[in-house]
Amino acid sequence: MFEIVFDYWSDVTTSFWDPKKRVFVGYLFSAFFVALLWLVCIKQEKLFASIKSIFSKRVWFSKSSKTDYKVFFINKLLLLLISPFLIAQLALATIIFYGLYDAFPSRPIVLEKSPAWAVVTLFTVGYFLLDDFARFYVHRLMHCWPLLWSFHKVHHTAETLTPMTVFRTHPVESVIFSLRSTVVQAVAISGFIFFMGDRADLLTVLGVNAFVFGFNLIGSNLRHSHIGIYYWRPVEKIFVSPAQHQIHHSLDKRHWNKNYGVVLAVWDWLFGSHHHSEKDKCLVFGLDSKDKDAAHSLRGVYIAPFYESFTVLKKYSVAISKKIAGFYKGLPGLQWATKD
Amino acid sequence: MKKVHPIVAIVFAGVSTVAVAGGDHGKNVYANFPVTVKNYTGDKKTSESYSGQIARHALHNSLKKLAGKGNGEANPELEAQIMAYLEGKESGRAIINPKTKGKFVVKQTTIDEISKKKNLLGKTYKGSIQGWPGNMTGPEVLKFMAKKASAANGGYDPLTGYDYVQLISKFTMGAVFYNQAVDNYLDEGLSAEKKPNNKPYKEGAAYTGKEHVWDEAFGYFGTPAHTLKLTAKDVYNITKQKEEAFDKADLNHDGVVDLKTEMAFAHAYYAAGFDKGGKTDYLHTITQAFYDGRKLIKKANGKKLSDKQRTKLQGYAATIAKNWEKVIAEAVFKYAGSTYKDLQKLKATVESNGDASAIFRKYSKHWGELKGFSLALQTGQKNLGETAVKLNRLVGFSPVLLGNTQISGIDSDGSYTQKSSISIEEYMLHMLKVQKLMVDDFNVKARSNDALSGLGDLAKKLGSGKSAEND
Repeated sequence: MFEIVFDYWSDVTTSFWDPKKRVFVGYLFSAFFVALLWLVCIKQEKLFASIKSIFSKRVWFSKSSKTDYKVFFINKLLLLLISPFLIAQLALATIIFYGLYDAFPSRPIVLEKSPAWAVVTLFTVGYFLLDDFARFYVHRLMHCWPLLWSFHKVHHTAETLTPMTVFRTHPVESVIFSLRSTVVQAVAISGFIFFMGDRADLLTVLGVNAFVFGFNLIGSNLRHSHIGIYYWRPVEKIFVSPAQHQIHHSLDKRHWNKNYGVVLAVWDWLFGSHHHSEKDKCLVFGLDSKDKDAAHSLRGVYIAPFYESFTVLKKYSVAISKKIAGFYKGLPGLQWATKD
Repeated sequence: MKKVHPIVAIVFAGVSTVAVAGGDHGKNVYANFPVTVKNYTGDKKTSESYSGQIARHALHNSLKKLAGKGNGEANPELEAQIMAYLEGKESGRAIINPKTKGKFVVKQTTIDEISKKKNLLGKTYKGSIQGWPGNMTGPEVLKFMAKKASAANGGYDPLTGYDYVQLISKFTMGAVFYNQAVDNYLDEGLSAEKKPNNKPYKEGAAYTGKEHVWDEAFGYFGTPAHTLKLTAKDVYNITKQKEEAFDKADLNHDGVVDLKTEMAFAHAYYAAGFDKGGKTDYLHTITQAFYDGRKLIKKANGKKLSDKQRTKLQGYAATIAKNWEKVIAEAVFKYAGSTYKDLQKLKATVESNGDASAIFRKYSKHWGELKGFSLALQTGQKNLGETAVKLNRLVGFSPVLLGNTQISGIDSDGSYTQKSSISIEEYMLHMLKVQKLMVDDFNVKARSNDALSGLGDLAKKLGSGKSAEND
C-alpha cells in the first residue's frame, strides 16, 4: 500500500520535474514567456494586462479547468494500476528484432562508414517523424471512428484550455496512446539497431529527445491555452501553430475534424484536414451539448463514454448481423434459415 | 599516570570481551560450529570440515594452468602430469594455482596440505554428456579433453576452434563441483536415511552425517567462510589475488591466506562477478542459505533431524540450487554475448580481407567458456529437457569455422569429423537465441554482455511510453 502511495506521489511530481514531460516547469515557464512576448510585442498589449490575461481567473478556475485538474490526479492513479499490464516497448522491440533476423538472416548493417553524428541524426529525425505521424494518425482515427470518438470526446468537452487539458483523457484513450507509443518506440528501436547496430542513438538535450525538447521549449503548452499564437501561413503548412490546434478544439462546424497534427502540419496537409489559423478570431471551445455541466462531472468524464460506446457497439452489431443475414439469404437453399 | 575508574574498567573489559567473541569468527561466519556428535572422544573443538572440496578446487585451478602448457606436439609427459591432477591421488602434487602473488601470500603450497588422496575424476558426473560429440560420460569427456589439451599449442586447437583450457575448466566446475553439491549432497544427501544426524559421518569423526553433507556442498561452492562479512567485489578481488584484497581475505590476521577457509574459487567467483554489477545478489543469497542451514543442523545437537527440520533444510538447499543454477545460466548468457561480439568483428575482418587469426583466437576462447558453462548447466539436479536440447543445438559441437563448417562427431581413432554448417551470420542469431533462452528459462538478471543492450539503452533514453497525455 505504502509503495503504491509513494509511486503515485512520485508520478504526480515527476510530471512537473521531468523534462520528458509536457508540463515540466521549465516548459511552463518558457510557454509563459513566449505568451508574454506575443501579447506585448506582437499584440501591443500592456505588460500587466498581458500577465493578467495569461493567468485569467475565468480560464484557470473555470468549471472545465477544475475538471482537468481532478482528471489529472485520478488518471495518474488509474494508469499506475493499469501500466503493469501493458507490454513494455523493450519486450516488443526484442520480438520485432528477432522477427527481423528471421526476415534478413544476414543482418545487413548499413551506414557503417558514415560518421556517428549522421547515424544519430538519422535515428533522431526518423523516430521523430514516425512518432509524430503515429500521433497524427491515431488522433485522426479517434475522430473518424465513432467507437473511439466516444472516448476521445472527453478531451473535446473542455471549454477552457490550459496546459493541464492535455491530461483530460479517458483511461481507455490513455491505454491506446500508451500502446501507440510502445509500438512506435519498439519499431524504431529494433529497426534502427538491427540495421545500424549499436551506433543508433538519440540526440538529446537534458536527456530528452532534442526535437521534443525544442517543441516544448518554444511553447507547446500554448496549444492548450487561450493565447492564439499563429505563424506565417507558409510555416503553418509545415508546423502546427498553437492557434491551429485551438481551431481543432473550436465549436464552429467549419473547424470540425481539422488539424490533427502535433508538431508537423504536413500530415494534415497530405490527408486533407489542414486548416490555417484565423487571425484574431475569437473561438469558442467545447462540444455542442445540451447538458454542459454533465460533461464536466466525473461521471461524464469516466462513465458516460462507456454508455456511448456501448450504443455504438450495438449499432455495429445490428449492422453486422443484418449483413450476415443478407449473406445467408442470398445462398440457394438457405432461405428457410432467415426471416424477414 | 591517571587512574582509571573501576566502573569504566569493568565496562571496557566487558565491551572488549564481546568484541572478541563476536569478532572475526563471530556471527555470519561459516566456522566454529561446535562438535555435536554424541560420545565424541577426539580432540576436535569444531565440526565444520570441507577440506576435500577445497583440495579439488586447488586441483581444478592447477589443472587449468597445466592444460595451457602444451606446445602443439604430442606430449606424454604433460599428459601424465595433467592426469595426475585429474585422476591421480598421489602425494606431493604442488599447488600450481593459486600461489603466492606479491603481498597476497598463500598458506599452502601442496595439495596434501589441504587434503590427501583427492582427485577430480572420481567425483565427476557419470551421466552421458549430450552436448559433446562422441556420446561419452562426464569422466570420459574430461579425459578426452585432457589428452587433446596436452597435444595442443597453449591448450588451443585452431583447426577446430577448441580452447581446451576453458572447456576443461568450465566443464569441471559443472560436472564436479555443481553436480556433487546440488545433485548429490543437497539432494539425496538430505534424505532421512542417508547420512543421519544422530550418527558420526564415519567412525570417530567429529561431525555428524548431515553436518558433513552440508559442509561438503558448501565447500564445492568455493566461497570464503566469512563471505557474509564481505562485498561481492571483495570476493571477486580475492580470487584475482589483488593485493588490496589480502586484508579482506586474511580473516584471522595470521599474515597468510588459508585456502581452506579464506580463498574464493570457481562458482563463488562467478557469482561475485555478476553481483558486483549491482543487479543480483547470488553470492550472499547462496552463502546465507548455507549458513542458515548449518545453524539449523547445529541446533539439532547431534539428534536425528525431524521431518520439519529436514523440510526446512531442503528449503535452504532449494534456494542454493536455484541460485547456483542462475549463476551458471548468467555465465552462459555472458559468454554467448562475448561470442556474438567476436563474430561481429570476425565477419567485418573477413569481409575486409584482414588478418582474422587474433579475433578467431578470442572467439575460440569465449566459445570455450560458453560451451563449458552450457555443459555445466546440464549437470545439475534436474533434467533440463527441452532447454538442454535447444541449448546444445544452438551452440553446436564447436564454433562455426571460417569455411562455415562445424565439428559433427568423433571417429573411431578419436579424431574429429566436420561437416558443412550454418553461416557466421546465422550463428550470430544462435548466440542471441542462447541469451534469450537464458532469460526465458532461467530469468537471468545480471545479463553481462547483453548483445541486445543497445535496444535497452535506447528504450531507456526514449522513456516509457506509458502516458495519459492527449495531444
